[in-house]
Amino acid sequence: MDLFHDKSASESDGDTTDSEESVYSGLEEEPDTSDDEEVKNDDKSDSENGDNSESDDDESDKENVIDNDTEDKDVNEEDTNTVNVAAKNKYNDKNNTRTTSQTVEDEYYHDSSDEEDIRNTVGNIPMEWYRDYPHIGYDVEGRKLIKPKKGDELDEFLQRMDNPDYWRTVTNKMTGQNVLLTKEDVSLIEGLMLQRTPGGAKETYEPWIDFFTHETMIHPVTNRPADKRSFIPSKWEKLKVGQMVHAIKMGWMKRSTEKKEKEDDEPKYHMLWKDDEENEATRRYRANIPAPKATLPGHVESYNPPPEYLFTKEEEEQWLSQEPEERRMNFIPKKYDSLRLVPAYSSFVKERFERCLDLYLCPRQQQTRMNINPEDLIPKLPKPKDLQPFPTQQAIIYKGHTDIVRCISADPTGQWLASGCDDETVKFWEVLTGRCMKTLKVSGTPRCIAWNPNPAICLCLVAVDQSLLVLNPGLGDKILISNTDSMIQNKETSEPAGKSPPLSWTVCEDDQYDEGYRFILSHPKEITHVSWHGKGDYFASVMPKGDSKAVLIHQLSKQRSQNPFSKPKGLVQCVYFHPIRPFLFVATQRYIRVYNLLKQELTKKLMTSCRWVSSMSIHSGGDNLVIGSYDCKLTWFDLDLSTKPYQTLRHHKKAIRQVSFHKRYPLFASASDDGTVIVCHGMVYNDLLQNPLIVPVKVLHGHKITKDLGVIDCEFHPTQPWVFSSGADGTIRLFT
Amino acid sequence: MGVTKQDTYIRVHIFFRFSVPSAPFSVQAQVGTCDLSSLINSLLNEGDGEKTNVDFDFLIDGEFLRLNLDKHLENKGISTESLVDIEYIEKQQAPEPEDSLVHDDWVSCIQGCKDCILSGCYDNTVRLWSVKGSPFLTIPGHSAPVKCVQWITDDDSTVKTFMSGSHDQTIHIWQWDSESNSVDCVAACRGHAGSVDCINIDHTKQRFCSGSWDKMLKLWSAECEAVEDEDEEDIPHKKRKTSRRKVQTRVPILTLSGHNEGISAVEWIDTNQICTSSWDHTIKTWDLEQAEEISSLQGSKVFLDMSYSPLNRQIVTGSSDRHVRLWDPRSSDGALVKRIYTSHTGWVSSVCWSKTNEFLFISGSYDSVMKLWDTRSPKAPLYNMTGHDEKILAVDWSIPSSLLSGGADNHLKIFQYKQ
Repeated sequence: MDLFHDKSASESDGDTTDSEESVYSGLEEEPDTSDDEEVKNDDKSDSENGDNSESDDDESDKENVIDNDTEDKDVNEEDTNTVNVAAKNKYNDKNNTRTTSQTVEDEYYHDSSDEEDIRNTVGNIPMEWYRDYPHIGYDVEGRKLIKPKKGDELDEFLQRMDNPDYWRTVTNKMTGQNVLLTKEDVSLIEGLMLQRTPGGAKETYEPWIDFFTHETMIHPVTNRPADKRSFIPSKWEKLKVGQMVHAIKMGWMKRSTEKKEKEDDEPKYHMLWKDDEENEATRRYRANIPAPKATLPGHVESYNPPPEYLFTKEEEEQWLSQEPEERRMNFIPKKYDSLRLVPAYSSFVKERFERCLDLYLCPRQQQTRMNINPEDLIPKLPKPKDLQPFPTQQAIIYKGHTDIVRCISADPTGQWLASGCDDETVKFWEVLTGRCMKTLKVSGTPRCIAWNPNPAICLCLVAVDQSLLVLNPGLGDKILISNTDSMIQNKETSEPAGKSPPLSWTVCEDDQYDEGYRFILSHPKEITHVSWHGKGDYFASVMPKGDSKAVLIHQLSKQRSQNPFSKPKGLVQCVYFHPIRPFLFVATQRYIRVYNLLKQELTKKLMTSCRWVSSMSIHSGGDNLVIGSYDCKLTWFDLDLSTKPYQTLRHHKKAIRQVSFHKRYPLFASASDDGTVIVCHGMVYNDLLQNPLIVPVKVLHGHKITKDLGVIDCEFHPTQPWVFSSGADGTIRLFT
Repeated sequence: MGVTKQDTYIRVHIFFRFSVPSAPFSVQAQVGTCDLSSLINSLLNEGDGEKTNVDFDFLIDGEFLRLNLDKHLENKGISTESLVDIEYIEKQQAPEPEDSLVHDDWVSCIQGCKDCILSGCYDNTVRLWSVKGSPFLTIPGHSAPVKCVQWITDDDSTVKTFMSGSHDQTIHIWQWDSESNSVDCVAACRGHAGSVDCINIDHTKQRFCSGSWDKMLKLWSAECEAVEDEDEEDIPHKKRKTSRRKVQTRVPILTLSGHNEGISAVEWIDTNQICTSSWDHTIKTWDLEQAEEISSLQGSKVFLDMSYSPLNRQIVTGSSDRHVRLWDPRSSDGALVKRIYTSHTGWVSSVCWSKTNEFLFISGSYDSVMKLWDTRSPKAPLYNMTGHDEKILAVDWSIPSSLLSGGADNHLKIFQYKQ
């Protein structure tokens, strides 16, 4: 009892002190000091701030009051004096809390009228009549009394929350002013409400029994001693506050004012597309697919289904005969007379288990599957028909050879074709008609044949076993033929001193000369490959087993041979001259080496990644080359890019025997043992940034596979987009 | 019940080229040439008492009817509702194989004249035959296969002149006395640096042109008789050997260069204009007075042969892509190729217009078939003439009644052409 009493007393005191404080703002600090001494020590500014905020509140209270007054002032200018007086009263008399009512009292004092508010002379009429007007009535002089400014509901609410005297504030309907009821007024109202005597005679009917007294009784209601914590400052609060203070000090925690400042500093952006930033959780929530619901039981599941749901005999037999997966429903509807006859459901556990399985396996989230057409992943190549012209059809078959046609070569004008065959003949053909113009019997198998690329020289190289024949086929322009012969005869004699040439040139005479032989270069070993330099003066021969003489370079004008390499690395397959620059491409089994003939050094070494290179062809630009290998691979090298293959094509099923570039058109062809020639579009761009475009365009069939050999050699027509191929079936074919 | 296809009728208006139009007929939609033919026959028979049975061909808008009528109209996009004009002409009769002349080697070129046939052969000889098939002469003289032959005189005189071009880069002009059956080489034209692939004489018989593999077009004088006649008069009974010693060497009047590849055919358009086709995919027209190129038509494939018809002033070409193309040399814009005739399966090595009929031409191909074409029937030839076992290298229609073809099977075939 004591406590309560004390408390209430202190509260009421507090109330009064509050009001007092509102008058004497921020003068007293005693109540704070005892509790927050340490905190204060920790952080002075904080406590000060707290004090400030308190004092702020007080001030605002005061302001409220003053505001009220000023409103009054505004409303009725006439009564400024009285209000002032009232204010003075208020300030003067501390104990008297009556403000407005006192003002009214003052009015009564001045005015003898019975009216509550003499100012409004509108009469005793319902005030709703003036609801829609800006004024509330009229004063004695007949002037309008303007309605006082009325706060909206929010102000009302704030008043209710903040104003401790709200409960006793009422509005005077006549004046529209707020009136703060005094204690007496309140008690009077209470009395009226309790139907007691308004005069406040408390002991009118019954004697007052003082049940709970302020006097401390010897037997308190509860005998519990007061807790220690009610005497000492709270420890965990102290700890908590200490922590917070520390956090603030360290900058981990921001004070509310600081936070606000920071927020103000930051520019505010509105997310225009809010969904983009939808966080994962919400997205998942939204994309969630609810678990499939179990179907509700229908009439069939009923213990007493309508007769049409029951199975007939045939249906039952059918149901029994069906596999469980096929059945329309997984039970037989049965009829029971009453619910209590229904037995336990035997497959309950199974069904529950299946349901659980369903729930476990059902998709719970929408997964957006990427629908990618596999076709789209393949890089777009132009269609072959857009890459015309290229050979598509067999046009002419050159018949006459009786054995494998090993090698073919077209003359630079494109009128003639030379071919070497295993039947130890070399034939010259007219390209246009397929007519064999000349047949030359040679003593051995022609391995390689090469027509001089210079159209001003009419010569043809034929590698027959160990000898290299330089032939003048005697076809074409007669003047050219004779010029060639005279050029050969007038050789430039400039013998190099010292070194003896690796081999000697035998000049042919008499019968051999008439047949077309001009020189015979006898090599120590079998020659497999010959090739001309682009200008037609130098040519190279390859003897894979010739060890140090594997590659020999011969000069036609000086009729001289030289050995460029002391010891070639590996088994040389073929050599080619660079079409423009003084480079020599030497293909061994695994590697292509590019030598600079002027500087006499190795410029580049290309890794073919093939087991055994069979053939090579250089693009007319000289920067690209293709390589055919016996392991069915066709490899394109771009010398500008790297020493590794730029592209590898595996279209052939068997060993590639020959590859060939066209001199003018962007075409290259490969001949293989599978009996086909594959023509590819190989565009090399002048733009260094653009890589070559390689598109296989046509597979040419025609040659029959004989003795497991298909097409042995292929070569393009020098001017037209036609390709010649020679096969093991003894034919040469022209595809156009 | 909808109208079935069987029941659809098309109103047609059938007329002969000169006859006055009669009332239109209604014929069944699926009607073919045979049915229409029998219809015409029955109509004709109604008129006169005598019975005729002639096969007819039918032309709709200048194109032969080859399918059923409705399909043809559908393909051409002609409405079956409207009145269709059908012109009927007598059907071309099939050429009949007449004779086969055996050579020792491939026949590379042929030309007929009146009752004589001139053929060039790969055994370096030029041969003379009668139309009946009997050989007159075998003329050696070239040192390489003969590539082209051309008659100079086409009159009935006993002394006839002709020329031949060869792989040995020369053109020889020959004079043949048909009575004594002796031949003299009048002149040898030297100047080409490649095989002479084509020669052609102009209408005045004064000049001729030759095209060669060396990309040059050369103009020569064909005039030789005056000089030679004197020689002949001087030494009337000389042996051939001695006469050949006096072979006059001739140089070209004019050389025109412009082609990038060998010239495959040359044709006179008029006295001062010639037209050449080449391996460089072009057909060029040249003016001889100005000695310059007038126009150039660009093709897409190698031209192997070309023929110009003075009757319709159009050009047909044979290409290395199996097609025969019809060109108008005077047009320089729009669609240069007027029509494409596709039926061959190999290179079309030779083409030749009819001298009498402006619609007909023949073509010979490496697929060893000679075809007779009507320009109005682009899809299918009129007749296929088979018989060769090897590539056909040359065809000729200089004699209107016979179609000649020579090929790599050493045969020269003569087909009789009936008007």
